[in-house]
Amino acid sequence: MAEGGEVVRNDRYDVLAKWSTPSFDALTRSVISRRLGAPPPRRFFSATEFAVLEAACARLLATPRGRPPIASAIDDDLHAGRGEGFRRPDTPPLGATWRTGLEGLDAEARRRHAGCGFAALDGSAQNALLHAVQVGDVDPSRFGALGPRRFFSEVLLKAVAAHYYSRPEAWNEIGFGGPASPRGYVRIGLDQRDPWEAPFAPAARGKP
Amino acid sequence: MNALAESPRAVGGRAPDVFARGAWQPMREHDDDDAVDFAIVGAGAGGATLACALARKHFSVVCFDAGPYWRPLEDFASDETEQQKLYWTDERISGGDDPIALGGNNSGRGVGGSTVHFSMISLRWRPEWFRSRTLLGHGFDWPITYDEIAPYYRAAERALSVAGPVRYPWGPPRGAYPYRPHPMNAPALLLARGAEALGVRWAPTPLATVSAPHGKSPPCVYRGFCNFGCSTNAKQSALVVWAHQAVAAGAEIRDLAMVGRIETDRVGERVTGVHYHRAGRWRFQRAKNVVVAGYAIETPRLLLNSATARHPQGLANRSGLVGTHLTTHAGPGVWATFEEEVRWNKGPPNMAVCEHWNYCDEGKDFHGGYAFMSQGPLPRAWAQVVATARGLWGEALRAAMRDYNHNAGYVPVAEVESRPENRVELADEVDALGLRIPRVTFGYSDNDRRLQRHALQFMAEMLEVAGGRDLWTSDDTSHLLGTCRMGGDPQTSVVDSDGRSWELGNLWICDGSLFVGSGAVNPSLTIQALALRMADRIEALAAQRAL
Amino acid sequence: MKHALPARASASRVEAKHLRAAATALFASVLVDSAIEHYRGGFENPAMFAPLVASALGVAAGAEAAFGGRAPARARAGAFVLALVVGAAGLGFHLYNVLKRPGGLDWLNLFYAAPVGAPAALALAGAIGAASDHVAASDGRAGAPRIAGVPAGRALCAVTSLGLAGTVGEVALLHYRGSFQNPLMWLPVTLPPVSAVLTARAATERSAPARRRFARAWLRLTAWLGIGGVAFHAYGVSRAMGGWRNWRQNVLDGPPLPAPPSFSALALAALAALRLRDREDG
Repeated sequence: MAEGGEVVRNDRYDVLAKWSTPSFDALTRSVISRRLGAPPPRRFFSATEFAVLEAACARLLATPRGRPPIASAIDDDLHAGRGEGFRRPDTPPLGATWRTGLEGLDAEARRRHAGCGFAALDGSAQNALLHAVQVGDVDPSRFGALGPRRFFSEVLLKAVAAHYYSRPEAWNEIGFGGPASPRGYVRIGLDQRDPWEAPFAPAARGKP
Repeated sequence: MNALAESPRAVGGRAPDVFARGAWQPMREHDDDDAVDFAIVGAGAGGATLACALARKHFSVVCFDAGPYWRPLEDFASDETEQQKLYWTDERISGGDDPIALGGNNSGRGVGGSTVHFSMISLRWRPEWFRSRTLLGHGFDWPITYDEIAPYYRAAERALSVAGPVRYPWGPPRGAYPYRPHPMNAPALLLARGAEALGVRWAPTPLATVSAPHGKSPPCVYRGFCNFGCSTNAKQSALVVWAHQAVAAGAEIRDLAMVGRIETDRVGERVTGVHYHRAGRWRFQRAKNVVVAGYAIETPRLLLNSATARHPQGLANRSGLVGTHLTTHAGPGVWATFEEEVRWNKGPPNMAVCEHWNYCDEGKDFHGGYAFMSQGPLPRAWAQVVATARGLWGEALRAAMRDYNHNAGYVPVAEVESRPENRVELADEVDALGLRIPRVTFGYSDNDRRLQRHALQFMAEMLEVAGGRDLWTSDDTSHLLGTCRMGGDPQTSVVDSDGRSWELGNLWICDGSLFVGSGAVNPSLTIQALALRMADRIEALAAQRAL
Repeated sequence: MKHALPARASASRVEAKHLRAAATALFASVLVDSAIEHYRGGFENPAMFAPLVASALGVAAGAEAAFGGRAPARARAGAFVLALVVGAAGLGFHLYNVLKRPGGLDWLNLFYAAPVGAPAALALAGAIGAASDHVAASDGRAGAPRIAGVPAGRALCAVTSLGLAGTVGEVALLHYRGSFQNPLMWLPVTLPPVSAVLTARAATERSAPARRRFARAWLRLTAWLGIGGVAFHAYGVSRAMGGWRNWRQNVLDGPPLPAPPSFSALALAALAALRLRDREDG
């Protein structure tokens, strides 16, 4: 999985190699199997909304489009009514907020690119648009009561980041120990690792 | 959604025995028409503790919880996303100048309440905080003193087998903690290193998770998923301690039972029971007393939703204070990157604490205090912090996250003023059961902001001398308190020092809503101590026929 | 128990054999224990291999003597002296490990840093091993065997008594860390101290046969406690999360399996020391 700019740092480490060890229990295996299995069908978003979201996920995570299936996971959450359980006053429920936000992003794309929607633009144009939404350099009326900046940060990016870092490939990338039951950790001090953890790797401090 | 979420488990004369897979413990059950002595709404740090204590005193108790009766050994996966099921994610409105994040941040749903996902930090209040106005010149006085609650702190620590240091550096001299402290993980060692460099004391955090076997609990395996449910049962949550022992003592716990309304008699002077929704329909449990223990949002919500013609402002609300004086703990975080491998996910999230600024007031340009702890977020939660606080995405986010094993930071539990404008009210919107949902309004005061600035500065300095680089900050809160405050005067409080409402003699409150100020330590131990004390007070009042 | 005292010559050989067995057992306990603990510590410092080497050599020296003993005495003596030196150095290393952590010499570090007293077991094994050779060598010579000018019985009673006391201290610390959560954890801090006191008394005074019998009985009890301790510790491992299946965590984090037999080894040595003492008293 090293395509389209995706840099894997710890390519010697695979959390899933611990699948049959005491680090995983049956429940966790079934949960992760489901997550790594066929993505759920699109049931909440329209095809257009979904295309916008998929394209946005790819830019927000610097991953290939559609891989991993973050947009499907978000769609599934909204279909099932799974959310954080709170929203700001005078804002609509989460599903409506998503639709408004994605439509606002798409509308801004069409406005800037002579009618071309977000999903059809090239990567750098998409990045520029996302940045614009992030800083609020867009028509705020297209982003509902929440506004572009809050939509970007508190809804879109927050969900995308959460879903990506819920996946074993992301855990491998950051060297996270992963599931840990019944076996936890023995060596928990500074510069210590258990043999079932990721190898040591120096801090990059922001450099690739 | 799994079947678990749909059907109650505590039925048919038995409740899940959390200590063995598939096992059950016999549970006494009551008919809805039998007026039980106490109907308790909420099986968390307040409700389950009180249920257990009252059952041991031979009161008949039914304790309701809106959420499931968890079986930790079987239901808790090592997965952040899967474990979002522990939280109260029914829709709420949260606004104001500084909206509080709800859901998984501070609201649990299920038997054990928020103690199922809490960080097990078990600290006592600084004694002076109970008389903050008189002794420290700010805030409010409680109607009880530290000395009155001290024996209950000890009892709660014993019941929770709190693992704490042989000598705790702060507070009045105290006996030994029931269990010895846990070893310090890497982020805790960095806090200790920083503290020694700055010349302030530090301690391994007293934690309600066992460092050696206790009963059927094995010792902690340092897996680090504490905020997502302990699958080993080392964590001494209210589910594993109080609920389990409450059932053994004869209490009934009803899971997946949402109490929607408290009923009053025709004269409007006493409560008569609770309407609750379970297994698809509304039911009514008669009760001689009702205790509301739904934590600081659901408790006022229920009282307000129980308004009648005689109580148009909601129950127990003649003072107009129900829902007001909401307070929380500010938790602005400082984060850094270290050369060392830290791997902060190993072990409980907060293994070291510094309470220096809870006991030292020199040089402060604010009143109040804060404790701060080492941290250990898991990747999903951490990614959300990095993304929202730093605005990073794309390669920048991926690069920042790749330093996961080298990150460390501190977050305080910072005192926040109790002010009437911070409140819980009812929104017009209703939930799936037709109950009006809560609307929370919150904002910091100038004092709150000055306190947080001090905390950020001090913690940043400590991180740097410990070797941290590339520091940055984030915003957060923890805990919910104060919305049904205790007091000595019915005009300025909702309940008296026994937790009994002024307005209705058989309506009680037993959770964090009681708090008169926020203090600057995690509230769970104090909530449990108050619950134990309340049980003793109830017993005394019953003996005096004053119930 | 009345029996004709054997001639001094062959009697020394018996004691020497028992002392050697005790030393070998103690070396074996140290070998496994230090291997597990230093593996847990990742052999961060190369010096952490030293006790494994020294205790392995000690086991070899002890066992070799038992199976014919054709190695030159100096080789064996070298192994025992090495154990003494490495054990003594280990005490320094372990103390440094405690002191260098935040908090220095505090309860938390006594609980979780390198166990301060543990290397003494290696030194003890070396001392007992060297004594066993010395006692064996005195076989056939006139007069009771002496070690450094002191009658061997007295010296060994003192040494084993200190060893027992030190081991009790180590156990007390670790069982205190475990909050004495199981009442049986009190056994190794209540039984062996009596053995230590009785053995110490035997070092300093002429004793009536009855009191020596009592001391011997208590030491045998202590020896059995060391065996039983392994079973208790195995139970402790089994009841940790994941039990034996999670052995990679629980054998390291759980109660140390090779530790309790050190009581057995020391008790065995003390019993031999008492018999030497009996003959010194006449």
